[in-house]
Amino acid sequence: MFQSKLRSETLKGVVDVVSTLIDEAKFVIDANGVSLKAVDPAHVAMIDLHLDKAAFEQFSANDTELGLDLDKLRDVLRLSKSGDLIEMRQDEERNRLVISVGNITRRMNLVSTEGMSDPKVPNITLPAKLSVNIEELQRGIKAAESISDHISLNANPDGFELISEGDTDLVSLKLPKDLLVSLDCKDPVRSLYPMDYFSNLIRAIPAGTVLSINIGNDLPVRLDFEIAGGKGKVKYLLAPRIEND
Amino acid sequence: MSYQVSDVAIKELFGPIERTDNSMVSNLCVLCKGSKNLCGKDRCSLMVKYYARSRTKPLIDSLDLAGSSPPGVFVGRYGYPKVDVGPLVPPDFGDTAFMDTPEGWVGKPIEDICDFRFRLVRGKFRVGVKDFQNAGKMMDLTRDLALSVNSVDVEANFNKKPSGKIVLDDEIQPFGPSARLNNFDITNPKYDHKVEKAFYDTDMKAVEAVTSLYKDGVLISKLQKAFSIGAFGVERNRRLVPTRWSITAVDDTLGKDLLRSTKTFPPIGEWRIYDWDQLDNRWCVMLMPTSWRYELIEAWYPNTAWNPMGKQIEVISSHELFDGRKDYAEIGGCYYAARLAVNELLMKERRTAGAVIFREAHPGYIMPVGVWNVRENVRRALLEQPSKFNSLNEALVHLGNRMDIPVRRWLSTSEVLKDFLRQRRIDDYV
Repeated sequence: MFQSKLRSETLKGVVDVVSTLIDEAKFVIDANGVSLKAVDPAHVAMIDLHLDKAAFEQFSANDTELGLDLDKLRDVLRLSKSGDLIEMRQDEERNRLVISVGNITRRMNLVSTEGMSDPKVPNITLPAKLSVNIEELQRGIKAAESISDHISLNANPDGFELISEGDTDLVSLKLPKDLLVSLDCKDPVRSLYPMDYFSNLIRAIPAGTVLSINIGNDLPVRLDFEIAGGKGKVKYLLAPRIEND
Repeated sequence: MSYQVSDVAIKELFGPIERTDNSMVSNLCVLCKGSKNLCGKDRCSLMVKYYARSRTKPLIDSLDLAGSSPPGVFVGRYGYPKVDVGPLVPPDFGDTAFMDTPEGWVGKPIEDICDFRFRLVRGKFRVGVKDFQNAGKMMDLTRDLALSVNSVDVEANFNKKPSGKIVLDDEIQPFGPSARLNNFDITNPKYDHKVEKAFYDTDMKAVEAVTSLYKDGVLISKLQKAFSIGAFGVERNRRLVPTRWSITAVDDTLGKDLLRSTKTFPPIGEWRIYDWDQLDNRWCVMLMPTSWRYELIEAWYPNTAWNPMGKQIEVISSHELFDGRKDYAEIGGCYYAARLAVNELLMKERRTAGAVIFREAHPGYIMPVGVWNVRENVRRALLEQPSKFNSLNEALVHLGNRMDIPVRRWLSTSEVLKDFLRQRRIDDYV
């Protein structure tokens, strides 16, 4: 059973961060809130999301699963403006989700969750950790995007640097320690990531977010941030590219 | 007087003497005249064309031609949006369907294919691609003929004797000489009622017509003919599509439609390689136990159809990752033809996979015979028993034994394999 009311911007935040990786999602719901774990179809990136019941205006549920088409949710969001309340109710008999925005009601068939796996979240120790305002990174990504199909993330005790190097051009975004919110790094680390994935993840993160970045040498990067005013948590994991020639 | 002085004088009079490399005569054919195999090809492609043509020539040396069209039509692309359209007619009567049904050509030697293709005389008349609906009797008959399931007898009257160059193209199957039509007539065609229904349904989109008829078992060569003659689509959008474009349009549409399903299936459980040889083309189709990604790599030996003057092997490739590609594949229509063939197998098995197709075109492949060569041979390759492997390394060893080109050359060209080797997956860390 699942019945809730939430603000339109809260739902939008969730849809934005999830739909950058997948089109259909399996939301796992219990009495404490909603969570989701998914890898993208190419298994290069992963999202681990939890939305606490406090993020909802009203929330009552016991253990259930909802398979949702994120494009349809986006359609519903287009009907609402910021601040509107969206009501969601699971119709277990008909296997549907009933969504109401004001006087509009949409009943949507749920997507089968049978084929959707429950990915395990890798447990990796990443030696360097720093946090930064998302706007800084988004600016850097904009500059670096067209340069190459990969991007390197570098951290050392003095700061953080994004470098994208193509055949003819190089773009770097250098953030010394005083431009970072925090920096915890003893030895220099460097990893390389696919540009399209990294830029899509960074762009999906809402403005005003303080992003925590965890990196190592040739290891996945973990991006941690909060949504829904601190009542939701998102973890992205992105697998590295290894230079072997 | 020294040699230098006269050189200067000549330079003043005529400009500098051009330096040419006389060790390599630019046109070997002049020296060889079809007898010495100087170009390195197994047989002389000019002579193969010449003999095929000389056998046809006396049969069509007239202003009138009667014969059974397979049925076949050709829509040209020069002058678009005003193009040359018309039926393909051989000087033969009876069931000539095989002449325009590439699905049945795998296994035929290149001479045979040329022989019957060059018998097809291309009648033509000029029509605007969008105003073909009311372009007159010849257009209506051409369309009726194109939609027929059986061979249709044609009586044609040309304004000149059929002539002109024999067309050779990587995309389209070859055909013989051509001539402008004064008029022509046909016997009654027979229709496939499913195709006919799509033709009369002027609200159905062309994509829908192509995909649904394909699922009903209509041959790709039939779909492509109907598509090119403007038989599908919403009424006001209907138009003629040059044959060359229509082949790729149909292959691309069908491949994409299958991909929508196959992408969601679970991956195959092992590495596979399907081996196949035909027309001195050597094929290895590698399937990877991964999500969808695809690449076609072609290696053209010196002196093959598309590397006539080269001194080294040219390797070219196009690829896509999971999300597909937006721009037209560098290597052309064969990319889409092979992608369709791979997805037919995945659909049948209800599995997904990554696919890298390796093709070596050896010197026996003396001339291009059309995209069908790629589609039908990849289809045929996938009917073979695959060799199965536990890892990429084992699969590459097999590839190395099968192909002449060393594995490192394939690897340095293949974007899909490079991505596989360099890009880690989340699963690697669980």
